[in-house]
Amino acid sequence: MALPLTSSLVQTRVISTSATAYGKKNFRKFLMYGKRGTRQFKQQVKSDPTSEFHQMFSRGVRPVGELVGKKYEVIPEKIPELIVPDLEGFKLKPYVSYRVPDVVQGEFRPQDLFHAVYSQKIAEDFKAGKLDEEGRPLEPSEEEQLTPEVAKERALKIGSDRF
Amino acid sequence: MAQVDWKTPKAIQYRQTEVKRTKFRFTTNRPWTQQFAQQNRVGTRRKKVFVEPITDWSFFNGDRVEILVGKDKGKQGLVNYVVQERNWVMVEGLNCHYRSIGKKGDYPGMMLQSEAPLLVTSQVALLDPSDNKPTDVEWRYTEEGDKVRVSVRTGRIIPIPKLAEETKDYKTKRTYVEQEKDTTEDDLTRITFEPALKTFEMDIATKMGIEEDRVPLKTYWY
Repeated sequence: MALPLTSSLVQTRVISTSATAYGKKNFRKFLMYGKRGTRQFKQQVKSDPTSEFHQMFSRGVRPVGELVGKKYEVIPEKIPELIVPDLEGFKLKPYVSYRVPDVVQGEFRPQDLFHAVYSQKIAEDFKAGKLDEEGRPLEPSEEEQLTPEVAKERALKIGSDRF
Repeated sequence: MAQVDWKTPKAIQYRQTEVKRTKFRFTTNRPWTQQFAQQNRVGTRRKKVFVEPITDWSFFNGDRVEILVGKDKGKQGLVNYVVQERNWVMVEGLNCHYRSIGKKGDYPGMMLQSEAPLLVTSQVALLDPSDNKPTDVEWRYTEEGDKVRVSVRTGRIIPIPKLAEETKDYKTKRTYVEQEKDTTEDDLTRITFEPALKTFEMDIATKMGIEEDRVPLKTYWY
């Protein structure tokens, strides 16, 4: 196989990303994405979720659906729903004026919560003499009737990550 | 001060390394300016400038000082500019040199007067307000517990000048002009929190009108 004298051998070096892509450290959260392909090819693949190379060129974007057979089905639960409060009439602004003196506020402890919820009723009962010998109220309010089991149940009903 | 150019991502497969620069050449240009960036650009490595470490810095903008060395020895002036990284202080209008800018052909250029920096440790001294003479200064505590500068010779307190409070945004905090994106004092200090016997999720549920009757099954840890 004789090469013509006019041609020249151009030595090129290529970095292969396939080896690391199939290697043991390229698990799901690896930050390396496919580099090979023309711009048109990559554009084509990105817009087509059924393509076998779609995930390779997606740059880590979380998929919105699943490939069921040959069809891509969008799962509405996978589409993030941003719940943002309505800021109508909200007075606080992004910055704080320099004129404002430092606000020093203590931590809101469980003692403070107890004080806020129960203290007034206890004081009123004491003055009216509605507490028995052990100090328990004779006419307990809704909060005072609460048992630990019922309270925990209430918290777990709506969902909680603390209990 | 460090300038991190690149940090490897925080993931198990990466070795935690940083490409950063820690040694800088400090001058009268502030570190966020373009001139500083030019002086400390990538690839430049300057000889180390030895600076005497000072634990309690006593020189502020607006202080009256006397120059002890050089052409303007014995003259008193106000501190204009402070560069703590080099122990430098520039006194207004004193210790100046003249330089011409834009000299071209026949045109001699524009003459500029610029102050030279003075070392705080040896070339400048604070004035004692009682007799306007240079003194050594110490930081001491008053009866009330305030930290103040005291002249070692006479014991007179040297107050910190008002000019020291000045920043790019205001001359003094009280004279700051409030902009439209600034929260005012009344809005900030108003307490709108109403304590209730509810968890965060329960509070949101009542506010959004979400009602849940289902009780989850009991879970056990073994």
